[in-house]
Amino acid sequence: MDNKFLQRVRRKDKIAKTFIQVCGIMVIVCVFAILALIVKVTLPLLSPSKITDAQKVALSAQVSGTPLAIGIDSYGEALHLIDQEGTITFLDARSGAVITQATIQGQGKSQIRQIEQYKNSFYNILWQDSSLSMIEVRYQPKFDTEGKRTIEPSFRTIKLWPALAEPERLAQSYVRLSADNRFSRIDLLTDNTLTINHEVTTTDFLDNQTTENFSVRIEETLPGKVSTLALDDSGLALYAGTDNGYVVRWDLADNDAVKKTDTFAATENSDPIASLGLVFGGQSLVVGSKSGTVQTWMQVRAEANNAIKKMQMIHVLEPHAAAVSTILSSRRSKTVYSISEAGIIHADHMTSENHLFTIPDAYQVFGISQKDNALIALDSKRFIHIWQIDNPHPEASLKTLFGKVWYEGYNKPEYVWQSSSQSDDAEPKLSLIPLIFGTMKGTLYAMLFSIPLAIFGAVYTSQFTSAKFRKSIKPIIEVMASVPSVVIGFLIALWLAPIVERSLFSLVVALFVVPLLFTLVMVCIQPFYRNRRFVNFLSGYEFLFMLPVLFIGGWLAVRLAPGLESLLFHGNFKLWLYQDMGMRYDQRNCIIIAFGLGICVIPIIFSITEDAISNIPPSLTAASLALGASRWQTVWRVILPSASPGIFAAMIIGFGRAVGETMVVLMATGNTPIMDWSIFNGMRTLSANIAVEIPEAPFGGTLYRVLFLCATVLFALTFVLNTGAEIIREHLRKKYGRY
Amino acid sequence: MKKFVRRGEPFVWATGMTLSIIITMTVLLLYVVIANGIGVFWPQKLVQLSLNDGRVVLGEITKEEKDGNNVSRLQLKIGNREINGLDFTWISEPDIRSRSYPADLYVIERQENGNFYGTLAEVHSPEITVAEGQGTLVSALGKARHNLQPLLMTKQQISRKIGALNLALEKVNQKLAGYRYQHMDEKDKRIITLVDAETKLKTQFATLVDGGKQNTEELAAYYAIFKTADGKESTVRLADMVRLYQPNRMGLFAKIRHYADKLVELFIADPRESNTEGGLFPAIFGTVMLVLLMSLLSFPLGVITGIYLREYAHPGVTVKIVRIAVNNLAGIPSIVYGIFGLGFFIYGIGGALDQFFFPERLPTPTFGTGGILWASLTLGLLTVPVVIVATEEALGSIPPSIREGSLALGATRFQTLTRLLLPMASPGIMTGFILAMARAAGEVAPLMITGVVKLAPSLPIDGQFPYFHLNRKFMHLGFHIYDIGFQSPNVEAAKPMVYVTTLLLILIVLSMCSVAIYLRNKMRARYAIADV
Amino acid sequence: MTAQATPIMQITDAIVEVKDLHLYYGDSEALRGITMSIPRKKVTALIGPSGCGKSTFIRCFNRMNDLIESIRISGEITIDDQDIYDNSVDVIELRRRVGMVFQKWNPFPKSIYENVIYGLRIAGVRDKNLLDETVEKSLKRAALWDEMKDRLHESAMGMSGGQMQRLCIARAIAVSPEIILMDEPCSALDPRSTSRIEELIRELQGDYTIIIVTHNMQQAARVSDFTAYFYIGELVEFGLTKRVFTSPVRKETEDYITGRFG
Repeated sequence: MDNKFLQRVRRKDKIAKTFIQVCGIMVIVCVFAILALIVKVTLPLLSPSKITDAQKVALSAQVSGTPLAIGIDSYGEALHLIDQEGTITFLDARSGAVITQATIQGQGKSQIRQIEQYKNSFYNILWQDSSLSMIEVRYQPKFDTEGKRTIEPSFRTIKLWPALAEPERLAQSYVRLSADNRFSRIDLLTDNTLTINHEVTTTDFLDNQTTENFSVRIEETLPGKVSTLALDDSGLALYAGTDNGYVVRWDLADNDAVKKTDTFAATENSDPIASLGLVFGGQSLVVGSKSGTVQTWMQVRAEANNAIKKMQMIHVLEPHAAAVSTILSSRRSKTVYSISEAGIIHADHMTSENHLFTIPDAYQVFGISQKDNALIALDSKRFIHIWQIDNPHPEASLKTLFGKVWYEGYNKPEYVWQSSSQSDDAEPKLSLIPLIFGTMKGTLYAMLFSIPLAIFGAVYTSQFTSAKFRKSIKPIIEVMASVPSVVIGFLIALWLAPIVERSLFSLVVALFVVPLLFTLVMVCIQPFYRNRRFVNFLSGYEFLFMLPVLFIGGWLAVRLAPGLESLLFHGNFKLWLYQDMGMRYDQRNCIIIAFGLGICVIPIIFSITEDAISNIPPSLTAASLALGASRWQTVWRVILPSASPGIFAAMIIGFGRAVGETMVVLMATGNTPIMDWSIFNGMRTLSANIAVEIPEAPFGGTLYRVLFLCATVLFALTFVLNTGAEIIREHLRKKYGRY
Repeated sequence: MKKFVRRGEPFVWATGMTLSIIITMTVLLLYVVIANGIGVFWPQKLVQLSLNDGRVVLGEITKEEKDGNNVSRLQLKIGNREINGLDFTWISEPDIRSRSYPADLYVIERQENGNFYGTLAEVHSPEITVAEGQGTLVSALGKARHNLQPLLMTKQQISRKIGALNLALEKVNQKLAGYRYQHMDEKDKRIITLVDAETKLKTQFATLVDGGKQNTEELAAYYAIFKTADGKESTVRLADMVRLYQPNRMGLFAKIRHYADKLVELFIADPRESNTEGGLFPAIFGTVMLVLLMSLLSFPLGVITGIYLREYAHPGVTVKIVRIAVNNLAGIPSIVYGIFGLGFFIYGIGGALDQFFFPERLPTPTFGTGGILWASLTLGLLTVPVVIVATEEALGSIPPSIREGSLALGATRFQTLTRLLLPMASPGIMTGFILAMARAAGEVAPLMITGVVKLAPSLPIDGQFPYFHLNRKFMHLGFHIYDIGFQSPNVEAAKPMVYVTTLLLILIVLSMCSVAIYLRNKMRARYAIADV
Repeated sequence: MTAQATPIMQITDAIVEVKDLHLYYGDSEALRGITMSIPRKKVTALIGPSGCGKSTFIRCFNRMNDLIESIRISGEITIDDQDIYDNSVDVIELRRRVGMVFQKWNPFPKSIYENVIYGLRIAGVRDKNLLDETVEKSLKRAALWDEMKDRLHESAMGMSGGQMQRLCIARAIAVSPEIILMDEPCSALDPRSTSRIEELIRELQGDYTIIIVTHNMQQAARVSDFTAYFYIGELVEFGLTKRVFTSPVRKETEDYITGRFG
């Protein structure tokens, strides 16, 4: 024997073995890595927000006065500080060195009486002499020739209001600049009355500017002494909190009038309101009390009268141990930051009521960056602390994803999927429940339609028809299985849906006519059954004789429908449905889906069922028939029970297929994420949701991750279903030797 | 009767009924596609309807049905979009006074605005202007169209040259951007040469554009004036005419030629009018290329894994679990694979490739966006389980005695595999291949997120170096159906094309499946003998 | 039990020596310490009731049992004084020396010609003349040549069962092994084909050492020179066929041969 050749063969065998093993194992590992990757993408959704204690620097000695406000840029590189003397100091965040220092120009030389921050970069400064400055702090990134970034901090005074005639009567002052150039100034006087001044600048088409001034006074008796005020970013709504726990809301939309919309007790036991704030978007009011409770309120339509909106408490956030002194809100999300008099900082996400973090120490003032990614605070020992906040998905939590959530603008907690909206400040509503509901709804209707057809069709094919026909029926089913789902989706949406819409009632009539006709045929055929030759002739070909019954039934239904419709439903079944039953008919509805998904899953259920039945040993059938049982009795009492695990597996696999089908539902449902069991309207499924939303989802964003979560849910659902079915089938294979 | 029911015969009949429903559904489905798709290219007679209110309407009858009040009505394709605004109109049967089929009527397929229906009134060309006499008009039109050919050729050449120039410019710009990204000195020799080249190219470009303008003007001198049914005149530039014919004059042979002509156009031409007219070539090309690329990944891996599982892995609990898992993977929704492709291939691998190889082009992604490579890899993953299962089953159905016989003669495992097992299993594996290809050809959902587009500017393969552009987006028959059926602004006008595309896709998929079924049955028959 | 004559005969010109062979399927012991020698160029029949381990036993000679994970073997089998379970032994070479014919014929789905030369092809033989020669020689020896010489390139799948089994024998002898193992080669054949195979075995005897497992005692008596009787994994008796069948030493052998059980 050729030894060299043998050696070569042996070497080849070894190489091949290693190669095949490595490849095989790798493929299998890769395939499982898919699951891992999809899950990995979703994980950050539920990870808690991280804050890292980035820096601690001593406050420069150049800042002499008591610091009243502090803030930081989004890169965490530069910060600013305003002290009581009206000096603004910009510091390098890393070293604590002073970059620039300037004095904010009041009317004259005066100390700051009150300072209010809004939009995280604007300050309203009320001076001791009752003049008022509105300033804006800006951080501009500059890139030098080498592409290195430096931050150039600056500030500008937007407007200066002169001192009032009686400065000592003024208690507090708030100003806002709206997007359409309206300055609104609210003054709280010591006699517990309020003055509202609007300065409206309009520009006509010739670029001429005219300025008008309006002034309104609120002199009514308020429920208590006003302790704090809050004004939304554009000066449209004013809230006043009193020292006995009441909040009053006014609508300031009109220039020359105020409208009180609400007075309500916002705390229990007349707990004084310590501070108020507005959540990003201006719809929700944060109420911080003297005892430390933090709650958010918003306007909800009253049940009795839809036109009236009343303030209602929606969310309760993590309480402080001491009075809440300042409330700031993120400019990115519905995150609320609050500090208590003890100097403890809390961050809470309003909608999900997630308490993000607590910074337990005594701080005097704090600020957050524009991008909501850095937090800065000054402690009592004059040290500046800076934290990096890593909180990319504050709006996602198990509760918002799977629970009922009370969103702004809704009248009650609900499951809502609405990933985007026109305005920037509306938050995405990402409940998966409507999608899971939609998936289940579509699938269940589809199964209702396809399971009986597929299983009984398979029973008939394997047990009653002749072998010759069985051979030709299988390819028909296989043809059905191989039709691409996009074709099915297109046909049912553009061809079937209009037909069903036009002749919905005929379909309903057919549901009665066809069984009736069937019974009639049975009664007619029955006498012939004593004739053996007739029976033998028909046996195995029944389905062919049923074809005309089906067609005639359908034809009759179409003929009868108009008459019956005018007789029973005044000629318009759909109108009757809507008016008397309250069911709206959409053109793309669950009837259509049931047909479409049915065509997709019938072949699968059919062939697995057929396999399961064909695997029952013929001896069982023979034994039953030999005992005198009829063919139906044999099937019903012997074959179906023995094949039932297989049939069950078929149903599960069909269910799994229907759950994941994308194109059909994408094309034939309206893709509206509603939760309604009605068969006459559509839904949105998990799979279609992914297809619809993924083009809009930026990489790494919350929506992106939530869509991966949808995929994970789908994956898990089908994996569990299929594994269950596979185990059942494995068991059957063992039982009957083959499958 | 009692006995009849007790013996359960009605139930047998009822199950028979379910089978007939299934068969009816399948046949109906195919019938609808075939009936609607096959006749689209057959020239329809043009009918001229005189209505009771004095209007005259001209068009092709597309549908006849009863409306809500049981009055029959006709749907007419009236074309002439620039005049009528809509392509279709409904006419109530009782409103019609008379129908006629004038032989002189023309159907003009145009580059834009859909079909035009009308009679020829004038023909204008620089050489000749004819305004009357049908016979002379027709021949003049023919002559003018013939004379137009060289100009049209020039137009094509110019646009081809512009395309080439554009590419060259883009390349120069990319190189420049690359150098600048590396902070090369602006006075560097390489940069200066490139900038020179850029200016040169731009001058060439300007000349070409001028030539194009002149060409357009020359082309504009050739035009014809057509009259609509109600006497309105409309000018159609000869250069805009794709095809014109007189359906009422056509004999059977001419109609067949027209049909064949349209069919050829379908396979080789680009789509027009937001995909609702013209050909399907880019979509067919994209589908075929996608399936081939998918096969390159999925077939070898699937077969090797199948061989590993059946022939090399130690049978035990692990293999059983893996087998269940693989079966399982075949049942995982395709959209899940799609989103995996997006997360892993596009953003993961593609993003990394961009970082390493094309940093100068960022933030415009090169590989970090959907493309045919990623789509086919995704489909490859989707079809790997199909191939694995097919390979495993094919190997598993070979009786173990064959392996023993070979080993007993001193063959190695590998020899047994290559000389006996694989050839014997090949029909089964082939079936798996074909089923995988059929599935890939019909699958749309994962493509939608991995790079399919409604209109790709260029094919993934062309004459430009490096010839294969796997990062390019592509078109696909299945997505074409979804796109023109659901995203098109004029759904009614798009319907014929959707049905044609559907018919084509179904034919491709069904013929693949039939081959697979045939192969499988053949294989079964073969083993039936071997098993005796 | 005391033996009058030795139940297990000593062979002088032995090709195979088995010493204290134990074989375990997982935990159960299928062969329990077998020691015997197989005479060179003779036909040795292994008989015994089903499940007694005879098929397992002959599969040890060409190490076909290696394919089954759960099998463990202890003891020693030597062929021409070489221990075949030694690490230095190449299984492929061993299998070339020890051919095998299976209970169920297993021709490959190839032509008759290719079936016969399969063993040569995988050994890298390309010489066309040698191949042709081998086919003719092997088919002649297997008494198939006359029937098949015109159908050499037809598929082997079209042959009758008996022909297929003879083809398998031809395939085995084509690589000129020293030993041919036959695992109930006739159990699935009709009597006529069986007698043809038996004839063939008689003809091959003298050129090859043949070890045949059979269920059929008459067949053992007809074709073999030596007979070994196995019972539940043990070798009960081994000797000249004539002797074993006419005057068995052990009671169990006698019971089996006379048909009292089995």
